[in-house]
Amino acid sequence: MNVREWALITFTILAQMSVGSFIVLGIVHYFVGKKAGEKQADELSDRALLAIGPVLALGMVASLLHLGNPLNAYKAVTNLGTSWLSREIFFGVLFAVTGAVFAVMQWKKIATFQIRNLVAILAAIIGIALVYSMAQVYMMPTRPSWNLVTTPISFYATTLLLGVLAMGAAFVANFWYVQSKNPGCASEQCVLLRDSLRWIAIASIVLLGFQFVVLPLSIAFMAASGAAVSAAMFVGEYGALFALRLVLVFLGAGVLGIFVYREAQSAGHERQMSWLAYGAFACVLVGEVVGRFLFYATTTHFGLQ
Amino acid sequence: MAKQLSFYFDSSACVGCKTCQIACKDKNNLPLGVRWRRVFEYAGGSWVKQGDQWIPNNVFGYGVSLACNHCENPTCVSVCPTGAMFKRADGVVLINQDQCVGCRYCEWACPYGAPQFDEAKGVMTKCNLCEDLIAQGQNPACVDACPLRALAFGDLEELRNKYGNIAAVEPLPAATITQPHLVITPNRHAQASGKGTGKVLNLPEEL
Repeated sequence: MNVREWALITFTILAQMSVGSFIVLGIVHYFVGKKAGEKQADELSDRALLAIGPVLALGMVASLLHLGNPLNAYKAVTNLGTSWLSREIFFGVLFAVTGAVFAVMQWKKIATFQIRNLVAILAAIIGIALVYSMAQVYMMPTRPSWNLVTTPISFYATTLLLGVLAMGAAFVANFWYVQSKNPGCASEQCVLLRDSLRWIAIASIVLLGFQFVVLPLSIAFMAASGAAVSAAMFVGEYGALFALRLVLVFLGAGVLGIFVYREAQSAGHERQMSWLAYGAFACVLVGEVVGRFLFYATTTHFGLQ
Repeated sequence: MAKQLSFYFDSSACVGCKTCQIACKDKNNLPLGVRWRRVFEYAGGSWVKQGDQWIPNNVFGYGVSLACNHCENPTCVSVCPTGAMFKRADGVVLINQDQCVGCRYCEWACPYGAPQFDEAKGVMTKCNLCEDLIAQGQNPACVDACPLRALAFGDLEELRNKYGNIAAVEPLPAATITQPHLVITPNRHAQASGKGTGKVLNLPEEL
């Protein structure tokens, strides 16, 4: 592992987290808006929305570090006809621009609610296309451990899992920011926060189950598709790291998820609930980074290198 | 069929001396670690004890000299995000370094290890079939350097008419991924691609 590969790990994780966060934020905003009105929903999620931009920007800057000649980076969208890498960059930039347009519109309350909604849905669809093209980049016959249907599925699993938990942490951070300015947990925001966190906990537990189906399947597919050497690394050379990855995701999305749900059930436990939500996000983030590290570290080349 | 310039390699004549590799490196002034042409030493078999004697059991070895195959479906060209990698009208696959972003994606995609990274310049390099020499009607440097006359170059169709259609033996991968334009006369010990009967004996730093 070198700078180049860490650049790719950072970029893919942060970009997927941004897409997932954007989608999760949209869903939460929609339901909170329906229940408590537009203003309350904005108060809960607008600051979290603004946090997504820098995360994506950081990922894109990191992606430049894997280039030998970054000055030519702007030329990398010129082969959209055949290159998935071009398409990945194209959708990445498009997602960033559409997302930024939406964030500004939402922050400054430009245009009507319906128009803003349309822009947000458009950005979310571009984000889904971005994650799809990110997966396609790795799907080529010379990389049998990547050239599997589990690559896009696990990229989407990572996208949603990180999105859900990042937004859980962001809502909590936003809540305490609002509290510091206007203390007292009798407000409606407090109720909405607990409602959202309960659903976030449920979603993270469901996604954990999904992740734990995809992970063994991906290794089984590797073993069956000419990448037996890669499959063996998950229990050999990288066995400890793979176990760590499983434990961290289970701990974060599963165990801490259950506690977040519990603490979110009644008022008065907001502080505990907050720390649990931060912890869940941190565990899953580290777990997913380790998982992505293994994705790159266990790949083998078909043919001569 | 459009014109396609290709290499011919006679594995039955190759002794694995690597003169082609050195001639290429010298002619193209390649930096440390970059080898547009490489000679793979592929060998296998074992020895079994019979009484007091050790008897060879299918012991074999042969050399495979490999550069870029200037493929029919050059995956390096299709995956390249900038279009720096391109296929010329005469079939030669070339890289425009001014356009290259140095992402090394072609390196992942090529089953022959043909595109190689120049660390100092931060861009990819690859065999250009000695385009300057062939423009003057000469042979690529590797072809003229071979002391065994095991390498040739010319139009694909002519080479295939003369030497047949074999484009893959171990350790080369099957020709299905990129439709390589390489014409091989196999060594008498040649193993079918993907069979895994032997292994590449070169040290990693040799390749």
